[in-house]
Amino acid sequence: MENKKLKLDRGEYRRGLKEGIPAGFGYLPVSMACGVASCKAGIAFGMSQFMSIMMYTASGQAAAINLLVGGETAVFMFALTLFVMNCRYLLLSLSIAQRFDSSMGTIQRILFGLFNTDETFGIAMKNKGKLNFSYLIGLVIPPYIGFLIGNAAGCLLNDILPKSISSALGIVLFAMFIGIIVPPARDSKPVLAVTIIALTISFILECIPFIKQHLTAGWIIILCAVITSLIGAILFPVEDKDEKSNNDDKLIEEKEEK
Amino acid sequence: MSTMNFIFAVLSMAAVMIFFRVMPLLFFKGKIKNKFLNSFLAYVPYAVLTSMTFPEVFHSTSSVTSATFGVIVAIVLSYFEQSLIVVALSSTASVFIVEQVMKFMTK
Repeated sequence: MENKKLKLDRGEYRRGLKEGIPAGFGYLPVSMACGVASCKAGIAFGMSQFMSIMMYTASGQAAAINLLVGGETAVFMFALTLFVMNCRYLLLSLSIAQRFDSSMGTIQRILFGLFNTDETFGIAMKNKGKLNFSYLIGLVIPPYIGFLIGNAAGCLLNDILPKSISSALGIVLFAMFIGIIVPPARDSKPVLAVTIIALTISFILECIPFIKQHLTAGWIIILCAVITSLIGAILFPVEDKDEKSNNDDKLIEEKEEK
Repeated sequence: MSTMNFIFAVLSMAAVMIFFRVMPLLFFKGKIKNKFLNSFLAYVPYAVLTSMTFPEVFHSTSSVTSATFGVIVAIVLSYFEQSLIVVALSSTASVFIVEQVMKFMTK
């Protein structure tokens, strides 16, 4: 990996933009919910935008808002919660890095990495073959812009809305999380089992007064997630899908060559 | 938490995000071979989202009853493959309706 000049291939960049725009629109409701939640929690408009610009993660920001509302005061706890929540980026980044072509030098990797998310990862991985910088940078720009616009709109909306609607909006992020969890849990037994285990542990931890008194909400989430994922990893080891799909790609390439 | 402290909290969280997003792209060229670690990482998102959602969701609106309705609507709609927008908005709408009905009934 050596340093390469930043050059953009216009066609590839446009192709990236085109594929990124739907994801940008898709982020509007998520980030609006995030904006509503943050401003409802008493975070100032500017601070809420600052969070979005710097963090760019709806689930992470929601967790941070929950911690703040729960009275968490330790900066370390905020960082640790985000750390546990985002371990998965290790996986995403590792598997997408396998597909980079030679245009991805150090600067290119940093620029792309800063704006990469689960969704852009998902779209990029649908491409057959190698990924180049022009395409990838085009792909990640619209979702970031969509996210920032949505967050700001959510904050503004929170000020205008009557109390009855604002109360109902309290559920919006949680409903979204349910929407993320349910489809994979329906399709995969291990994920369903993991979800049920997490649910059970979370309720149990909530019910034990000793834990409630001594651990903040952040610790309970971390504890629950680590215990559950350990149980999941022991009971349902995951097959290495990447290796399989890589082999498939190779097969396809070989066929094309023929 | 003071504003200054919260700014530090946001900066530290941003640092964590940047660490995870950028570092693996720069420093790891190979794959994680360890099957156990791979499985653990694969389950983390579901475990985190579930424990974040439950039981807090039941206190996210002005009553447990309305929140329960919202949860049921969200689960049913997402089970039938509705988009996130539809799930979120329908759940919110059902909470709103239940709360209005409850107000109407108790007065």
